[in-house]
Order: sequence, then C-alpha cells, then structure tokens
Amino acid sequence: MKTRNKFNDGYQVHNSRKKESWIAFFILCIIVLIALVPLFWIIISSFKVDAEINQAGGFMFLPKTWTLQNYKSILSFSNKQLPVFNWFFNSIIVSGSHTVAAVMIYAMSAYAYAKLEFKGRDTIFLGIMFLSSFPAITNIIPLYKIMHVFGWLNELIALIVPGLAGVLNIFLIRQFMYAIPNVILESARIDGAKEWTIFSRIVLPNCKPILIAVGLFTFTGSWNDFLWPSIAINNIDRLTLTAGLQLAKGVYGNQVARMCTIATIAIIPMIILYIFTQKYFVKGISLNSGVKG
Amino acid sequence: MQEIVRAKKRKKFSFTPYLFIAPHVILFIIFFLIPMFYGIYASFTKWNLFTDPTFIGLDNYKTILTNTESTFYRQFWNGLKNTIIFVIICVPFQIIIPLFIALLLDKKPKGRNVFQGILYMPTLFSITSVTLTWLFIFNRSLGLFNNLFGTDINWYGEQPYAWMTIVITTLWWGIGGNLIIYVAALSGIDKSVLEAADLDGARGLKRFWYITIPAIKFPLAYTIIVSVIAQFNIYGQPLIITGGGPNESTYVLLMYIRNLAFGTGNSVAGMASAMATCLGLIIGIISIGQLILLRKRSD
Repeated sequence: MKTRNKFNDGYQVHNSRKKESWIAFFILCIIVLIALVPLFWIIISSFKVDAEINQAGGFMFLPKTWTLQNYKSILSFSNKQLPVFNWFFNSIIVSGSHTVAAVMIYAMSAYAYAKLEFKGRDTIFLGIMFLSSFPAITNIIPLYKIMHVFGWLNELIALIVPGLAGVLNIFLIRQFMYAIPNVILESARIDGAKEWTIFSRIVLPNCKPILIAVGLFTFTGSWNDFLWPSIAINNIDRLTLTAGLQLAKGVYGNQVARMCTIATIAIIPMIILYIFTQKYFVKGISLNSGVKG
Repeated sequence: MQEIVRAKKRKKFSFTPYLFIAPHVILFIIFFLIPMFYGIYASFTKWNLFTDPTFIGLDNYKTILTNTESTFYRQFWNGLKNTIIFVIICVPFQIIIPLFIALLLDKKPKGRNVFQGILYMPTLFSITSVTLTWLFIFNRSLGLFNNLFGTDINWYGEQPYAWMTIVITTLWWGIGGNLIIYVAALSGIDKSVLEAADLDGARGLKRFWYITIPAIKFPLAYTIIVSVIAQFNIYGQPLIITGGGPNESTYVLLMYIRNLAFGTGNSVAGMASAMATCLGLIIGIISIGQLILLRKRSD
C-alpha cells in the first residue's frame, strides 16, 4: 500500500511538472512575441513608402506597396547628410582592428600573469586590477585632451587605441589559462622552446573558447560604443555607424520610413553575427559573472 | 628536480615576462591612469580644455554643491536627481523581469534555447538603433503603440510617459545579460533539494522564496550591483528619445557633464570634471560594495 502511494505521488509530481512546462511555454511565447514586435515592425516599415505611413488614418502593419527606395537613397554615395556607407566602413575598421589588437595584448598579459614568474608579478597585477575598479567617468575629459596632444582627434585611431587599456578581460583569460598544465609548458621549455613559441603554439590554441568570447564582447562593445566616438570625432565622414545614427533623428525627423531603414541597416549585421556565435556569448556571460552553468 | 630549480633561477633574471605585459601596462598608464588622475586634478581647476588649467582649490565643488544661485548648482542637482530616479525605476524591473523569465525557462519548456536566444539578442544592438526603433513605436501620430491601442499619448513630451518610454526602451535592450546569469544560476541549484521541497509540499511562491532565492543570492546580488552601476551611466536613451525634456525632467548628469565640457560655447571642463568626480565617487562606493560581496563569495 505504502509503495503504491509513493508511486502515485511521483506520478503526480511528474504530471504537474509536465503541465508547468507547457504553461511556461505559452507564457514565453507571448513574451517573445511582444519582444519581437518592435523589431519586425521597423524592418517591415523600412519597405514602406513614406506616403503610406503618413496617411491620416491609414495605419497598417504590412505595406501595400513594397519598396526598396529607402535603402537606395540611404545607401547611395551621394547621401552627404548621412554617409552610412562611410560609417559602416569606419565601424568595421575600428571594431575589427580594436578586437584583434585587444585579444592579442590581453592574451599576452594574461599569459605572463598566469604562467610566468617574475619579480613584482602579483603586485603589478593586483595594482592594475585595483586601479581599474575606479569609475572611469572622470577619464573622458582628460582623454580628449590627450587625443588633442597626440593629434588623434577626428582620427579613427582615437577610437581604436584608448579602449585597449581594459583589464577585466585579462582577468578572464588568466583564469582560463590556469587550467593549462604547467608540465606541458615546462617540457617545452626544457626542449629549448622560446617563451613566444610556447605562447603562440601551445597556450593560444588551448585558450580558443575564451579568446573567442572575449573577442566577441570586445567587438560588439566597440561597435556599439556611443559616447566616446561622438566626443572624439567631429568630422561627419569619420563617424562610426553607432555614433552617426544619432544624426538620423535630425535629418529624417519626419521621414519615418527612412529612420526605420537606417535602424534596420544598423541592426542586421549584429543579428547575423549573433546567429553564428550565440553559444560563445552565453558562455562568456557565465564566465563573466562567475556563475557555473 | 635540480633541473627545474635551475630553470626557475634562470627565469628570474629573464626580461621576457616584462615584454609580455609591457604593451598593456603602457596603454593602461597612458589611457587610464593619467586621465583618471588628471581628471580629479582638473576638478580643482578652472580649465577650458585647451589652455593650461589654473588651480582654484575647492571652488568648483563649492559652486555645484552649495551655491544655490549658480546654474551649475541647478544642473548638477537636477542631473543627479534624474539619474537616481532612472536607477530607482529601472533596476527593479531589470532584475524581476529576467528572473521571472528565467524561472519559466527553468521549467524546461520546448524551444528553451530559442526563447533565451531571442530575448538576449537586443543587447547586441547599438543604443542608437534601439532608440530609433522605440522612437517610432512611441511616435504620437504614426507610432505602433498609439495606433494599436487607440490612445493619443504624447510619449516623449509628457511625464510620466517620458520616463516610461526611456525605461521600456532600456529594458527591451538590456535584460539579456541578467537573464543568462539567472538561467545558469537556477540550473545550478541542487535538484534533490527542490525535489525534497516538492515532496514536503513546498510549492509555488513558498518554494521560490525559501529555497530558490537563497540558492541564487550571490548571482542575484551581483546582478543588482552591476545593474545599478550600469544605469548610473545612463546617457544615450534620454539624449536621443527625449532630448532631456520635457522641462529638463529627463536631463541626466552625464548629459550636463558632456555639454559643459564639449558643448557649443565656452568649455567649463573644470566644473564638468568636478561633477564627474562626484558621480564617480557615488559609483565607486557602490563598486566597493560589489568587491566586498565578491570576496565573500570566494571564501
């Protein structure tokens, strides 16, 4: 009798869990739908003609006539007010070179802090960690002055180099490198391998997952940086896509379809990047917060 | 064994390790340390960014903190007040909404990864494209919201709608990070504890409050502190959506700081630095809380 009761309880728990999972599924469907509506709507609206959007009482979700005119006029080279092509190109150069340099420099430092022994190692590392935890909000005004002294104002290099001073990523890579057994490195050293060879041939390939995660966060962070480019760059042709889009509201204030188009143009590359790299983002965040998933 | 000892000795005199850390250390000094100390120094000076700053002691701080006649005083306190209002409205939602969604995802429904993936995605969009999107949603005559629900709300021109617009935009943009942390934390809870609670009849809210919350309290505290710090840096959303209006009621501190230092007209970078230092101090105090917390966890 007792056993049967237990079995029944277990069955009920199992059953109710299944029910819970379905309820969760339906609530999530609604939440995700609400979250996606804005996205779909601006993408769809980017194919509308302005007259259709502005029509009094003519509100509709789908366009009556689909048009590519918005894309043509925005992406045209003669669009001097909002040179989206330039901005896009600038963003790729800035984020691309910043990411490559960052991953390289961070990995080198992380290797030294994790696997090499030298005088002052822990002092330097802890000192940098401690100082970097100060809020960087006061930095931005003097940084502008430094760019002025270097002659970097209005140059893309002002968007590439200063951000390389970050510290958190070194910490993350260092944690990851601890897992590489010292024996492997020691035996390579005894075989006469130079530190640089050990670093580039043994350590880097073993750190691929964390390097990709750090690279992705660095890339998207740089791509989406807004405050600094809008301060350091005054020349409209040198802006990045993120900073340049700020001007769209002023130029296309009443041409809503154009605003949607320009927002879509900025969003699509990120969606594509995300589709291919999603798992690294999830892993990266878990590492960041120290939660084991 | 002797080999290793000798190898270690040899390494001690090697210059190589310093070459590995040199690039970053140099960059750190030039682009982080020097600006940081210079920024604090500048807050004690009268400075227009391009000539040499003149030291004036605590005058800037006296002005922004106590001189009720000064526009800088008004701007500082209005900016700080609005920034804090935003933090107080936004952060609770930024915790509760992703936590709720994470609990749903923890029921292991079909398409779990797809749901999580979609909800995280907007985090990767730039602040400008996100705000342009929501500008259109909340456009008074052409926007989706007013047309869908037959309302005529002046979203970014009237309070409390201006704040609602900014907060909704921020939430849509930024719940993804916390969501992933909560999902990971929830899946890390020992399942036998939950099952025992189930058999003891602890379900629903009771189980959530007495078992789930204590089990994820560190990730929870971490996300609260990180979110507070992040939201203190609010800038792009009010700048683009409301322009600080109506009547400067959404004008946040970073917007004032930026305008004073880099806006049209004479730069008052010293005054702006003093405001930035004050904001930095507030954020710094919260960061220290974070550090203490993280240390506790690693013990």
